[in-house]
Amino acid sequence: MMNMETSTQKLPLHGEHLALGARMGGFGGWEVPLYYSTVIEEHLAVRTAAGIFDISHMGEILVDGPGALDFLEKNLPRRIAPLKLRQAIYMPLVNDRGGMVDDIIVYCVGSERFLIVVNAGNIKKDYDWFKGRASGDVSVRDLSPDLGLLAVQGPASQAIITDVFGAYYRDLKRFTYGDFEGGMIARTGYTGEDGFEIMVPKDKLKSVWDAVLRAGPKRGLKPIGFGARDTLRLEAAMPLYGHELDDEITPFEAGLGWAIDLTKPVFPGQPVLKKQKEEGVARKRIGFEMTGRGIPRHGCEVQKNGTRIGWVTSGSFIPVAGGSGRNLGMAYVSFSEAAEGSEIDIIIRGNPAKARIVSLPFYKRK
Amino acid sequence: MNFPENLRYTKTHEWIKADGSKARVGVTEYAQKEISDVVFVELAKKGHPVSQGKAASVIESVKAAFDIYAPVSGTVTDANQALESNPGLVNQDPYGAGWLFELEISSPGDLDSLMTARQYSEFVQSGPQH
Repeated sequence: MMNMETSTQKLPLHGEHLALGARMGGFGGWEVPLYYSTVIEEHLAVRTAAGIFDISHMGEILVDGPGALDFLEKNLPRRIAPLKLRQAIYMPLVNDRGGMVDDIIVYCVGSERFLIVVNAGNIKKDYDWFKGRASGDVSVRDLSPDLGLLAVQGPASQAIITDVFGAYYRDLKRFTYGDFEGGMIARTGYTGEDGFEIMVPKDKLKSVWDAVLRAGPKRGLKPIGFGARDTLRLEAAMPLYGHELDDEITPFEAGLGWAIDLTKPVFPGQPVLKKQKEEGVARKRIGFEMTGRGIPRHGCEVQKNGTRIGWVTSGSFIPVAGGSGRNLGMAYVSFSEAAEGSEIDIIIRGNPAKARIVSLPFYKRK
Repeated sequence: MNFPENLRYTKTHEWIKADGSKARVGVTEYAQKEISDVVFVELAKKGHPVSQGKAASVIESVKAAFDIYAPVSGTVTDANQALESNPGLVNQDPYGAGWLFELEISSPGDLDSLMTARQYSEFVQSGPQH
């Protein structure tokens, strides 16, 4: 019945998760909390109040040195120069074929000094990618083993951050951060809600975790596992590397064209992406809602009138506050079949189940 | 955990209640806790033959799908339609309203290979890796 991915690395707060009764499981080579109570309760807690997530599996790469700005400007698909101190920017990391090496957030943490947050499964790949392109006046270092990362997300997150860490952080703008305990509190997240991410040296992680869990519950905060992290990001239509994004999919196909600056003359994949932008994409990421019975899952085939038109990248039951929930998914389908409202079939355990293409995101906060 | 005495159990955490050649099947208290929120059940197909130890139905939690295996060989005579609109019954009442399917047993000897409540209880306590 149970078939859990085998996993090796433990989070710095492993013991805290066990103490809270977490069901542990594998994610990208890490043993992580899947849920503490239930995925549904945790999903709804973040939508209606707040949750705290331990996302210390994420990687951090520091790029600094006299040539750091020039280096990133040449290798990233958005302009870095306009980024001011304590500002951040999201983008895909693009390979020479126009495919995506990863999706990243670049934080400007000093003059000629940038911290790049990368996906856990891609730490080595991204490090090698940056290192392989860096010349003498740029240093590339993997700080992942030294840093921990927590997220506090949800409509009550601002009040909780203010309660615990003070009013200084209350007015942070989206994609900016404030200095905190040798790290930062940033207004970023991966849930579709307002929220904060707290990055600190590993030895300070437990005190931050404890402080939020002491003060947060009176505002409805709960610890949230990776199960709800996935349903929240799926409902908000945020891509997950290895599902919606990979080395062979381009940002335009993925709907991330807004995070590509084609007015930049030089960056890896620029000529390929420029051509694709002019000619249009052959396939694109869509969202769909099941109208028939069944839950779509990663890898399910998508058909139209019995012909394969694409594949499901993510799918799940998604809880709805005060309702019974919806079965939603994202997929890549042929551009000609991607019209909203179109009826498609998802092949679940060999049988077609009806679905309808709908606009993304499925959920947008008010 | 509650494992009723009048049921027989499988190592894959199904229970079966036999009455002559007829039987009702569901998943155990242990299984529903392990699966967590049941949000979808693909019902066994009425009239279809099933083989002992082979998948007959599917239960899905938010994040994963779990095959449910037939404890004995036979033919499916009914499936619990209430689970289509209320799959959470599997969590709330796994031995009662959350039953999965009924079957006509083809080889009654299959029952002898199944665990008693006491054996199953020991099996569950012996470790989490099944």
